[in-house]
Amino acid sequence: MAETPRDAVIIGGNRIPFARAHGAYAKASNQAMLTSALNGLVARYGLQGEQLGAVSGGAVLKHSKNFNLVRESALGTPLDPRTPAYDVQMACATGTEAIGSLANKIKLGQIDSAIGGGVDSISDAPIVVSDELRAILMEATRAKSAGQRLKALAKIRPGHLAPQAPGTGEPRTGLSMGEHMAITADKWGISRQEQDELAVASHKNLAAAYESGFFDDLVSPFKGLNADNNLRADSSMEKLTKLSPVFGKDLGENATMTAANSTPLTDGASAVLLGSEEWADAHDLPKLANFVDYEQGAVDFVDGAEGLLMAPTYAAARMLKRNGLTFEDFEYFEIHEAFASTVLAQMKAWESADFCRDVLGLDQPLGSIDRSKLNVHGSSLAAGHPFAATGGRIVATLAKLLHGKPGKLGFISVCAAGGQGITAIIEGR
Amino acid sequence: MSDPIRIPLPKLKHLYQKAVLSAARAKLSPGGSLKALPERPVLAEHPGLTEDQAEQYRRLVAGESFDGSHRRSLPSVMLHIAGFPVQMALMSRDDFPLPLMGMVHLSNEVNHHQSVHAGTPLQILARAENFASHRRGTQVDIVLEFYPKGLDVKTAGPQDQLYTSRSRYLGLGTYLYSKTEAATQVRQEFTPPSKTGVWTLGADAGRQYAAVSGDYNPIHLSTLTGKALGQKGAIVHGMYLAARMLEGREPESAGHSWKISFDAPVGLPGKVAFSAQQVNEKSQRFVGWNPRTVRRHFTGELTLP
Repeated sequence: MAETPRDAVIIGGNRIPFARAHGAYAKASNQAMLTSALNGLVARYGLQGEQLGAVSGGAVLKHSKNFNLVRESALGTPLDPRTPAYDVQMACATGTEAIGSLANKIKLGQIDSAIGGGVDSISDAPIVVSDELRAILMEATRAKSAGQRLKALAKIRPGHLAPQAPGTGEPRTGLSMGEHMAITADKWGISRQEQDELAVASHKNLAAAYESGFFDDLVSPFKGLNADNNLRADSSMEKLTKLSPVFGKDLGENATMTAANSTPLTDGASAVLLGSEEWADAHDLPKLANFVDYEQGAVDFVDGAEGLLMAPTYAAARMLKRNGLTFEDFEYFEIHEAFASTVLAQMKAWESADFCRDVLGLDQPLGSIDRSKLNVHGSSLAAGHPFAATGGRIVATLAKLLHGKPGKLGFISVCAAGGQGITAIIEGR
Repeated sequence: MSDPIRIPLPKLKHLYQKAVLSAARAKLSPGGSLKALPERPVLAEHPGLTEDQAEQYRRLVAGESFDGSHRRSLPSVMLHIAGFPVQMALMSRDDFPLPLMGMVHLSNEVNHHQSVHAGTPLQILARAENFASHRRGTQVDIVLEFYPKGLDVKTAGPQDQLYTSRSRYLGLGTYLYSKTEAATQVRQEFTPPSKTGVWTLGADAGRQYAAVSGDYNPIHLSTLTGKALGQKGAIVHGMYLAARMLEGREPESAGHSWKISFDAPVGLPGKVAFSAQQVNEKSQRFVGWNPRTVRRHFTGELTLP
């Protein structure tokens, strides 16, 4: 693997249970949720009064009043207020990017400790006014006399007053993420059955993990929730096959994506504690795993040259090459289930000799991923996907899975809006 | 070239008023006849499009901003907007044989020879040619040629042209030629390709393009006026579709050419499924259709220099 000056150690994680949008957290703000996730982490690892190297994270749907969301959230915790904190944003890869770049700072010796994470709320999403109304209000603000101000305000028409909620549509194509994915799924021939099977497995795995107590030290209750409320332990193929497609309906018979094999809109927050080996030892903290490396990817999706959510496919090829690894070297795979078909399409691409040779420029395909190693404790289809909070959920889950398995590797793939994505490598200790 | 008739840059509002009046007059005394075809082009000076107009246009199509250094070249459809009043002046002249109201835009072919910036004064020449029989009336090509200010247009050659376009229109229901000459067109079967985008157009999409372009043709403005002109309601401007099709794809240094052919009009409000396909390194093909009825709205092509 690539040589680095020192290891970045994943010490632990904490998240609040993820809640379906407009449900349990309907009245919780991004700042309230992130503060709670940070507070849980601080309490679990005794960080009261500690000055950390940095706290980094973000939210995808963020109000402009939250210009310093992470700093404001950190100030609401018992952490030493001299701990710097800053926002990052890379759509659904926000949390993973925050954690990855903090790990790099630790490896370089710039900082010794850090918290990375993210939060998102659909229920408390910022509603904005129309561009026309905003332009008029700004003009009125710039007016130098009452007359000028009135003249500007007189331009307001009833149509300008309609509020605009943020959508999940890609600005450059007008297609929702689900519609984009439906096109990619069709291109790769991903069947309805495969997707439903993956969704059922996700629910069964997450339910089993809760049952076994795996999440006891990874999740803290919030607003009366103790576990992710999207989880359906009784999910079954029988139930899922009854659902009608919700995306790609213009594909007719080939429409395969339903509400069950697509991730629901979710509220939630997560945080992960990182440190150098020395810092962890000095504070007598556990060392679950090393954050070894990560890679960003982006694809040309606007005119359909590549699928919107396929960037991790490319990032993985570069990251594995740099580290001299193949899929056979990994013990566990965490592929974010934006949609069941996202996971399946990425895996088909890595299996495809043509794609790996012609598009990724590899001598041979990256190969297939053993399903028994994939999302073994469930993923976003069951847990839900509060965009920026997903990275923290995945990193903490995988680090705990690899703890006690020194040298064993875990692989992460997270796709993101805008045709981007991140892959990462974690090594157990 | 026959001597162009020099005109001041017309106000579109007045031309539409005249068109509505003459449409009303035609209703009183129906039965068009083939008058002498307009032989002389019209020529008008244009002070240049403004930066404000460019910004309004950018907002309309949610496009990249004109920062004045990396993006200065005005999009083709903005030049069409500059030339539109001149074209309208030609088509509202008494010697123009087709009524302006109810004219249907069939296609557009553009050669965007050189880049044109905001504030660049222009000379715009418009002429009509290729009057021909169509199964639903009479078609005509309106040719626009853009030259720099100060150039003698009569002696100008193709190297002097900044931008040329050929817009084909159909004068619906006006038969200047006998109906039997027109071959019946067979509607082609359309199987949509995989879409790469969807445009969601609000009920006000026509009014928004009108506000930016000055093209207040009532067929685009409201359900009522659209119905009065034979549509099911308001329909979007063809050039709005061209603008969306081209946005972000035109080269800053120009030298490109493109075309668009219109099929079924896009009713408002509505959605247009869109597909852009790379043909080769220099050319892209486009198609837009109704995602519900799968009727084709337009096909287009862009060729880079």
